[in-house]
Amino acid sequence: MSKDLTIGEALRQRGVSRRGFLKFCAATASMMALPPGMAPVIAAALEKARRPSVIWLSFQECTGCTESLTRSHSPTVEGLIFDTISLDYHHTLQAAAGDAAEAARVAAMEENYGNYILVVDGSIPTGNPGFSTIAGISNLDMLRETAAGAAAIVSVGTCAAYGGIPHANPNPTGAASVSDLVSDKPIINVPGCPPIPVVITGVLAHYLTFGTIPELDDLGRPRAHYGQSIHDRCYRRPFYDKGLFAETFDDEGAKKGWCLYKLGCKGPTTYNACATTKWNEGTSFPIESGHPCLGCSEPDFWDGGGFYKALSTPTADITRTAVYAVGAGAAAGIALGAMNRTKQKRMAKEHEKVTIDDLEKGD
Amino acid sequence: MSASLEKGIHALKEQINAPVASFFSSCVRCGLCAEACLFFTETGNPKYTPIHKLEPMRRVWQQEYTFWGRFAKALGLSKPVTDKELGDWETLVYDSCTLCGRCSMVCPVGNDITYMIRKMREGMAASGHAPEGLVGATKLAVTVGSPMGVKLPALQAQIRQVEAETGLKVPVNVEGADYMLLLSSMEIMNFPEFIGAVAKILDKAKVSWTISSEAFEATNSGIQIGVSEIAAELVQRIVDAADKLKVKNVISPECGHAYMAIRWEGPNLVGKPFSFRVVHVLELLDELRADGRLKLSSKETQRLTYHDPCQVSRRGGVVDQPRRLMDMVAENFDEMPESGTMNWCCGAGGGVSSNERADDLRLQVFKRKKAQLEAVKPDALVSACSNCRIHLEDGLEKYGMDIPVLSLTETIAEHLADE
Repeated sequence: MSKDLTIGEALRQRGVSRRGFLKFCAATASMMALPPGMAPVIAAALEKARRPSVIWLSFQECTGCTESLTRSHSPTVEGLIFDTISLDYHHTLQAAAGDAAEAARVAAMEENYGNYILVVDGSIPTGNPGFSTIAGISNLDMLRETAAGAAAIVSVGTCAAYGGIPHANPNPTGAASVSDLVSDKPIINVPGCPPIPVVITGVLAHYLTFGTIPELDDLGRPRAHYGQSIHDRCYRRPFYDKGLFAETFDDEGAKKGWCLYKLGCKGPTTYNACATTKWNEGTSFPIESGHPCLGCSEPDFWDGGGFYKALSTPTADITRTAVYAVGAGAAAGIALGAMNRTKQKRMAKEHEKVTIDDLEKGD
Repeated sequence: MSASLEKGIHALKEQINAPVASFFSSCVRCGLCAEACLFFTETGNPKYTPIHKLEPMRRVWQQEYTFWGRFAKALGLSKPVTDKELGDWETLVYDSCTLCGRCSMVCPVGNDITYMIRKMREGMAASGHAPEGLVGATKLAVTVGSPMGVKLPALQAQIRQVEAETGLKVPVNVEGADYMLLLSSMEIMNFPEFIGAVAKILDKAKVSWTISSEAFEATNSGIQIGVSEIAAELVQRIVDAADKLKVKNVISPECGHAYMAIRWEGPNLVGKPFSFRVVHVLELLDELRADGRLKLSSKETQRLTYHDPCQVSRRGGVVDQPRRLMDMVAENFDEMPESGTMNWCCGAGGGVSSNERADDLRLQVFKRKKAQLEAVKPDALVSACSNCRIHLEDGLEKYGMDIPVLSLTETIAEHLADE
């Protein structure tokens, strides 16, 4: 496909209707928590935008992120938008190999210097450069070289964003995240193991529309997608609130779909869009299929003390403190409640009968 | 004695119980209730957002029953609710709320907003901010026994007329009857055919029934205006009459809020369980149908749709019965979009029809019902509430729609088998 096509033209060539395109823009606007009025702005910007050059580098990774983003569900508008970027270099997806592949990367970098988007998945070994190389170039060198001419960097997956599984204790390769190594470029972290497909297309659409990166939280993640915890948006939350927990994977509670907190669910400390956006074309997310959240979009999720260990297992001291705290809180609450009840009772006792002669104001 | 701000605030403090406190503290201000309210959807005015209609009551709750609210009040940081504010809220609480209950259905945290509006009206009435029309209707209900001033001789005249037309005896004050029929004044004055229809159906089904000359009025203005003592007094009259005639069941007529008043609020108002069972006339008809005691010889051939009266269906729970009866009597029954428990209110319930000031507004919001009807384009519209029926006729006339409004009970009576 010609690089001179705008995204609008490219999409139409691929048989995406105007209506389908606008629907995507509206969905993107709402997903990114933008006002509905922004949908036409996004549409207009995407329509005209030149297909941006994207260079995708894969370091210490498992290709799961690429799988998630490109193979999750066949052709959706998000998928096509993704196809219509000019993906100039991507190990798994490009046809070229060997010298030709590296030449494509160098050519794309020269042609779009300062304007291309660099997508990284996988962590970078800093222990020994030989742990992971591509065409004889160490991951660290390739990242530094490619990052120098990038307009922005998107770290896809928890490995690129926070080091991920290679970074897990004892971190034999000295794995580091992109943001550990590059500090002079805007970096958007899209963590998850793997991340939700629409999150990356949303980030790309935002960049194409506004020319800026979306608002990020303190871990560099777009607030629109990572602003709420899994726990707060979990459909099993009412069971947590009622204190109804599955204790094992085959007890009554598990069968009844009760809260998985005691089975180690990391939902309360995990910020991601799984509970709302869901997976596989909105079919479900892990908790919906009966498994606790692993917390894969948080740094060091692998070292959290065990996937099946409840988040806060109280120690003896904490129990004692908690008992006192709960006792004090309950006493205050009961006192306030009792005062309120007394007041309401007093009001009822002092009630003056309202008859039909009391319905109008006296003069 | 007369109404005053102090009495109003006192009443609000008295009304704020644990459910109200938990509702106010759980409101997340999402505004979903606005989209559920026809006064908002048809006017686009955000002041009609249901939860906003409760703002003065929310402030009383905050200042009287929450820690920080009391703290702020003690320091003079939050101003108490004034008489002017209550006055400003009068139209929101009475004119633009039909207590239809649709907002309570959509609230994501489960707040029963309608329940709170009902309670807020207690404070409004005690502070002298009830609409003139409702005050008048309430006075008539207490002194004469009917909000429209219908007296016993008027009922007797209508009964004589019905007896002449049907050739059936309408039993009055029969001790030991199984069922005691209540009527709304609107039925007595505007739709006496309803009495004839019930007489025909119950005669065929061999049901023993009666009407009490002492308490025939089913409606309850005390609930609409928001004065529990008056509401209780009106319920007590029915309880006394039913006990005197030793009936086993009391039939609530085709009137939405009458059903809610006697069936759901009644025992709570008088403070003890009834010695009889309360059924809505449609519940009774459906029971007779299931028993094989309600047989039809023909069906209605024109295209019919059914308007759920809010208090019968959404607030009352009588949802499936009318559908089974419609299937029985109509060859061609089509549902409107959003029917059943999510049906849109006609716009005149909850005392709005007694309040002339709200006339323009209720006709304006009828556009919602109009749109629902346009989606189905029925030959006739069936309902089971005489208040809905009058307002539906008003609205259809205003928007130039030629759709007759029928009563389900009367439609069934027209097709009764001779056998």
